Amino acid sequence: MLQYLVILLDDTSVAYCHADNPLKGRNLIPLETLKKGILFGMKQNLMIQYVFPNYELPKEYAEVIESIDNVKIYPVGCKPVTGIEDGNDADVEAANEVPEKEEAKNLVLRLTFTEMLKQKDAIAKLFASGARVNLCITDVEQFSDEQMEAYKQVLKEWNATLLDLYKQGQSPQFNLLTDRMMLEKMHNCEAGVSNITLAPNGKFYLCPAFYYDEQTKVDNQLNHHQPTSDNSVGDLEKGLDIPNLQLLKLDHAPLCRNCDAYQCRRCIWLNRKLTWDLNTPSRQQCVMAHIERNASRDLLNDIHKVGEFMPEIDIKEISYLDPFEVRKEF
Amino acid sequence: MIRTIKENQDSWQSGMAKNITFIVTKDCQLACKYCYLVGKNVKERMPWEVAKTFIDYVLDHENDPDFAYESVVWDFIGGEPFLEIELIDKICDYIKTELYRRNHHWFNSYRFSFSTNGINYHEKAVQDFIKKNRDHLSIGITIDGTEKKHDLNRVWKQPVADDNGLTKPSERGSYKDVVKNIPLWLEQFPGGGTKVTISSADIPYITESVLHLYRLGIHEVNINVVFEDVWQEGDDLKFEDQLIQLADEIIDGGYYQDYACSFFSEHIGKPMDPERDNQNWCGAGKMLSVDAAGNLYPCTRFAQYSLRDKDAWIIGNIRNGIDKNKLRPFLTLDRTTQSPQKCIECEVASGCAWCQGENYDAAQTHTVFERATAICLMHKARVRANNYYWNKLYRKLELEDLREQYEANKREVKPEIC
Repeated sequence: MLQYLVILLDDTSVAYCHADNPLKGRNLIPLETLKKGILFGMKQNLMIQYVFPNYELPKEYAEVIESIDNVKIYPVGCKPVTGIEDGNDADVEAANEVPEKEEAKNLVLRLTFTEMLKQKDAIAKLFASGARVNLCITDVEQFSDEQMEAYKQVLKEWNATLLDLYKQGQSPQFNLLTDRMMLEKMHNCEAGVSNITLAPNGKFYLCPAFYYDEQTKVDNQLNHHQPTSDNSVGDLEKGLDIPNLQLLKLDHAPLCRNCDAYQCRRCIWLNRKLTWDLNTPSRQQCVMAHIERNASRDLLNDIHKVGEFMPEIDIKEISYLDPFEVRKEF
Repeated sequence: MIRTIKENQDSWQSGMAKNITFIVTKDCQLACKYCYLVGKNVKERMPWEVAKTFIDYVLDHENDPDFAYESVVWDFIGGEPFLEIELIDKICDYIKTELYRRNHHWFNSYRFSFSTNGINYHEKAVQDFIKKNRDHLSIGITIDGTEKKHDLNRVWKQPVADDNGLTKPSERGSYKDVVKNIPLWLEQFPGGGTKVTISSADIPYITESVLHLYRLGIHEVNINVVFEDVWQEGDDLKFEDQLIQLADEIIDGGYYQDYACSFFSEHIGKPMDPERDNQNWCGAGKMLSVDAAGNLYPCTRFAQYSLRDKDAWIIGNIRNGIDKNKLRPFLTLDRTTQSPQKCIECEVASGCAWCQGENYDAAQTHTVFERATAICLMHKARVRANNYYWNKLYRKLELEDLREQYEANKREVKPEIC
C-alpha cells in the first residue's frame, strides 16, 4: 500500500540512496506542479518526503512546502530553505563523505566500497553520536567475491564498537548491523509499492534513480537498440499507472520472498541494472545483504552474552550467502 | 542403410543434457508467414573464429555449474542451418576432436541436433555430414501437412533482400521441394518426427494434414499453435471441431496404434497445484545460444532477430563469458510467479504451454515474469477435444477388450518443452 510520496524539488536534489544523481543543471519544480503534487499526496493520504538540492530555494516555496506535514531529505549541513522552521526528528541529511561534526539525527552516508573501508574508523565514531546512521554503498555493482572477506572484517570491527556502546547502555542505530536485529519480516525500499517519486517534470517514477536514468538516456548502456524508454509510471494529470505492479511486491520475487536478510534494501533499480528484471536481485546485492545479516547475528549473540537485550530474538545460522545457490530448497 | 537412432532419442529427450545452440545463419530459403524470426537476413552468418572461440569457452568451463550436465546437445539453427553445412561440418569435427583431446566428460555423450526445412537435405554435403556423424545425430524435417496447408505459410523468400538484408515472402510454396526428401529422411531416421505449426489460417486443414503426414510415413507429429496473439474470434471453436474430426479419424482408422499426434495427451487439462506443480515450462536460461557476432543468449528466442518489440536479452559474449546476473531471472522463474490469477486458478491448466521469449516480447515491461496468454482459448478447445479423444478411444478399447494391451504398449508423445 502506498504510504509515501517523494518529491524531488529540483533535478539536482541530493542523492540519498544507491544511485548517484548525475543531473547537474538546476531545474526547480514549478510551484504549480509542487502544489498539485502535494494535493495528490493529501488525497491519497501519503506522507510527503521532500528532497532538497544544495542551494536555497526561493522564499515562495517555503509556504507551499510547509502547507502539509512532511519529512525533509537534504544535503548535510545545508539549510533547505529560508523561512522553514527547524525540521522534525525524521528529517534526513545525506552526505557523500563522513561529516567531521555530526549533528544530524538521521544521516545517510553514501560511499563507495573502497571509501567505506578507508573511512571505517570515522564511521565507527558516528555510532556514539546518537544519530541513526544509514550507510549506503554506491558501487554495489562492482562488489566481487574477492571483497567478501574485507566486508566481513569491517562489519566485525564495527560490531565491536557497537557492542561497547550497548554495554554502556546506549542503543546505537546503524542500518547494516542493528536493523536486522529489530526486524521480524522484510523491511525493504519498496519503491513503487509503499513509496513513489514525483519529479520536477510532473511525472511519477518508481524512485529517483529511474528518473535519472531516463534523463541521462542510460538505457543506451544496456545493449539496447531502441530509443530510450520513458521510465515514468504516470503523471499528475492522469494519476499513477504502474505496469506489472505485482512484480514489485515481495511475493512476486522468488529469491526474496523466502529470504530472511530482512534489512536488505532490495533495490529494484539495482535489480534492473544488473539482472534486467525488477524482481530479481543480483549476486552482489544478495551476498552483501547476507554478510550484513550474519554479522547482525554475531552482534546479537554477543549482546545476549552481556545483557538482557531482546532475549526473544534469534537469527538462525545459515550456510549460504547467496540464496540463488539454494533456490531449489526454497 | 543408416541405422535408426530413435532408441537413443527418447532417453536423450528425457535426460540431463545441456542444450547449446549455434545460430549459424539468420538466412533461410523460405520466408514462412508464421515464422517468429522477424529479423531473418542474409548478412549474419557465423564466422569460423566465432564458432571456435565459443566451443573453447564452453569446453574450458567443464566444471562450471552451468555446464555440469551429463550430456550435451549441440543444436544448429538458422534461418536454415544446412545452408551453412560446411561450417557445421567444421564445427562438429572440432567439437569431437576437442572432446577427445581434453578427455571431456561429454566425449561420446553428445548429440548434434537439427531442425531443417528439408530443402537441401538430399545434397551431397548434407548427406556426407549425416553419414559421418550418424551415431550422434538427430534431424527433424518440418513439413506442415498437405500441400495446401504447407504452402499456405511455408513459402520461398523473394530472391532479393531489402537494403537491410531482410528477406520477404514470395507466393511460391515449398511443399514439393520438401516432400521429395521425406522418403530419404525416413529411411535414415525411421522414427523421425515432424513439427507442425498452427496459425489462425491453418485451422481448417489440421485433420487432413495430420493424416497426410501419417500417410507419408511420419509416425510422430508434434503440433503447436503459435504463441503469438494472432487468434481471431471463433478460432477456438473451429480448432475444437478440427481436433474432434481428427480424433474420429485416428480412432476409427486405427492410427492410434502406431502413430502419435501431440495434440492428444492424457496429461493435459487438469488443475495444477500452485506449490507442487510450480516449475517453469521453458528451459530458457538452462540453454545457451550464440550468434554470428559472438553474443550469448539464454535461448535463441532472445536474439534480436526473434523479437518484435523488445531489445535482445544478451547474457554475455564469447570473449568475456556469461554475466551470471543476467541469468538469474531465468533460473528463478516458476509457474505461479509469472502467471496471472486466471492461470493459477485454471481448472484445465496442465499442458498449457508458454514460450519465455514470447512472454518477454509481449510483456508490458522489461521482464520474463509476465506470462502471455494469447493461447488461452485455444488450449481450452484442445482440452475439450482431448477429453473427447480419450473417452472415445478407451470406450472402443474396452468394448474390444483391448484396453490393457493398449495401455501396455501405448506410444506416448511427450510435450514439446524447449
